Amino acid sequence: MVFKREWRRAQKALWIWVLAIGGMSFLIMSIYPQFAENKDQLQDLLKLYPEAMLKAFNIDQLGFDTALGFYAIEGYLFVTLFGSIYAAMLAGGILVKEESDRTIEFLLAKPISRIQVVLQKAAGVLAVLFVFNVMITIINYVGFRVAGDDQVDTQTFIMISIAPFMLHVTFAAIAFGVSAFFRKQRLVTSISLGIVLGSYFLSIVASISDKLSGLKWITPFEYVTSAYIIEHAAINPVYILIMLTVIIISVMAAIMKYHKKDLIV
Amino acid sequence: MSVIEITQLSKSYGNARGIEDVSFEVHEGEIFGFIGPNGAGKSTAIRTLLNFLYPSSGSAKILGMDIVKDAKKIRQSIGYLPSEVHYYDDMKVEGLFRFSAGFYKDDSMKNAMRLAERFQLDTSRKIEDLSFGNKKKVGIIQALMHQPKLLILDEPTAGLDPLMQSIFFDVLKELQQVGTTIFFSSHYLSEVQKLCNRVAIIKEGRVIKIENMDDMHANHFKKVHLHFKNKDENKIRIEGVLQEHITDTTYEFIFNGNTKALLEQLRMVPFDDVTIAEPTLEEVFMHYYESKEGEQNGL
Repeated sequence: MVFKREWRRAQKALWIWVLAIGGMSFLIMSIYPQFAENKDQLQDLLKLYPEAMLKAFNIDQLGFDTALGFYAIEGYLFVTLFGSIYAAMLAGGILVKEESDRTIEFLLAKPISRIQVVLQKAAGVLAVLFVFNVMITIINYVGFRVAGDDQVDTQTFIMISIAPFMLHVTFAAIAFGVSAFFRKQRLVTSISLGIVLGSYFLSIVASISDKLSGLKWITPFEYVTSAYIIEHAAINPVYILIMLTVIIISVMAAIMKYHKKDLIV
Repeated sequence: MSVIEITQLSKSYGNARGIEDVSFEVHEGEIFGFIGPNGAGKSTAIRTLLNFLYPSSGSAKILGMDIVKDAKKIRQSIGYLPSEVHYYDDMKVEGLFRFSAGFYKDDSMKNAMRLAERFQLDTSRKIEDLSFGNKKKVGIIQALMHQPKLLILDEPTAGLDPLMQSIFFDVLKELQQVGTTIFFSSHYLSEVQKLCNRVAIIKEGRVIKIENMDDMHANHFKKVHLHFKNKDENKIRIEGVLQEHITDTTYEFIFNGNTKALLEQLRMVPFDDVTIAEPTLEEVFMHYYESKEGEQNGL
C-alpha cells in the first residue's frame, strides 16, 4: 500500500523532471552536428581557455570531437547534477514528510511495521529513479541518433547510462538515511541539496587541483566521472563497491534509526 | 478480560513532562474515559500505547500483546482517532478510505461508505478542502471502518456539531453492544458523564483517580447551597466538604459522604434556606484540576 501510494504520488514530479532534464540533454545533442562541422575552429578556441576550466569539466580528457565526448561534457553534467538533486529531494522528503505533515499518526495506526514503511518507501524511490533513468536513456539514445554519429559504442553508451542511475541512487540513499534523523522536511531538503551541491563542488576542486585530488574519494560525482567511463567503457569497480556500500549503510541506518525513533514529540 | 493493561508506564522526553508511573486496566466491552486538562499527558499515554513513542519505563499490553514487541499485530485489531487530524491532503476522502481498506483483510470499504452516509460526509471531495469538523468525520470513519476490537479515540468530539456528536455517541453505544471496547480521552467531563462506564483522571502526567461511574452517580456527592439572611459571623464546619465557595450571605460546597451524615451536620447550622442538588462531574472534579489538595482529600 505504501509503495503504491508513493509511486503514484511521485508521478507528476517524475515526468516534469524527465521532460526538463531529458529535454535539456536532447537539445544539447541536437546542436552537436553544428559543433562537429566546425571541429577545427573549436579546437583552436579551446586552446584559449584556461587549463583549470578544461580540467574542471574534463574537456582536456574528452574533447568535443565525438558525439559521446560531447555528451559526456555537456548533457552528462545535467543528468548527473540535476538528476542527483531530484533524487536527493525525492528520497530526503519521502520519510520525513509523514512526520512533518503529522500524517504518520494515521499511517502507523494501520497494521504495518515501521520497517515495512521504510522498506516500501525506499523501494518507491528506487522504482521512480529507475524509470527516470530509463526515460533519460531513451531520450539520449534518440538524441545520439539525431546527432547522426553512428559510431557510438554500445558498451560505452550502456555504461554512461547506468552510471547516473548508480549516482542518483547513492545520493538518494544518503538523503534517505539522513532524513531518518530529523523531523522537519524543510531542514532535510536543505541538507540534501547541500550534500549534492557540496559534492559537486568537491569534484570540481578535485579535478582542478592535483594537490586536492584525494578529495575524489569522498565525492560520488568522481565515482562516475564520464572521462573514465568513455576511456574504459566501464565504471571503476572500486567506485561501484563504494557506492553499493554507501547505499546499504544509509538504508540500514534509516531502518535502525526509524525503528527506535519517537515519531511524535 | 483486560483489553488494555498498563503497568507503571512512564514516558518522558526533553523537557516535556510526559507521563509518570501510570497503571490501570480497561476491561472488554467497556467505555473507558480518560480525562484531564490539556497538557496532562493524555495524548502522550495514547501515543505510547500505539508505539509512536517508546516507553521510558514500565510496560503495557493490548489484547494480551506487548505494545512494543507486537505493535504491528495490535494495530490489526485497533482503530485510532488522533486528537489532531492530519491526512494526505492530495487524496480524496474516498481515496483515503480505499488506502486504509487496503491494510485490512475484510472488505471495510463498504462499511466506510455506509458510515460516511450516516455522518453525511461527501466522499468525493478532496481532504484539504474539508472543514475541520468534516476532517474529524473522516478520522472517525477511518478508525471505525474495519470494525476493530478496541477503539482508541483522542478527543473525538472536538469540532463536531451537536447533531454529529449525538450520531457519533449512538454509533459508539452500538459498537459497545457488539462487544467493542472503547478508550476515550477528553477534557469535557459532561461528555464522559454521558458515555463512560469508568474514568481515569490524569493530572500532570499521573493518574490520580479511577472511578466507576455508577458509584459516582450513587449519591456520594451533593452540591449544597446555604443561604443566610444576615451576615454570618461564625465559621461553619462541616466534615466532608471538598470544595467551598463563600460570600457574605451564602455558603456553597460540594459534599462527599453519607447524605444522612450531611443532614445531621446541617441541623446545627442556622441557615435560612438550603438547596441540595446532584453536582455535575465538572463540579466534582474541579478540585483535582485546581489544586493538589485533591490528592490528599481523596474522593
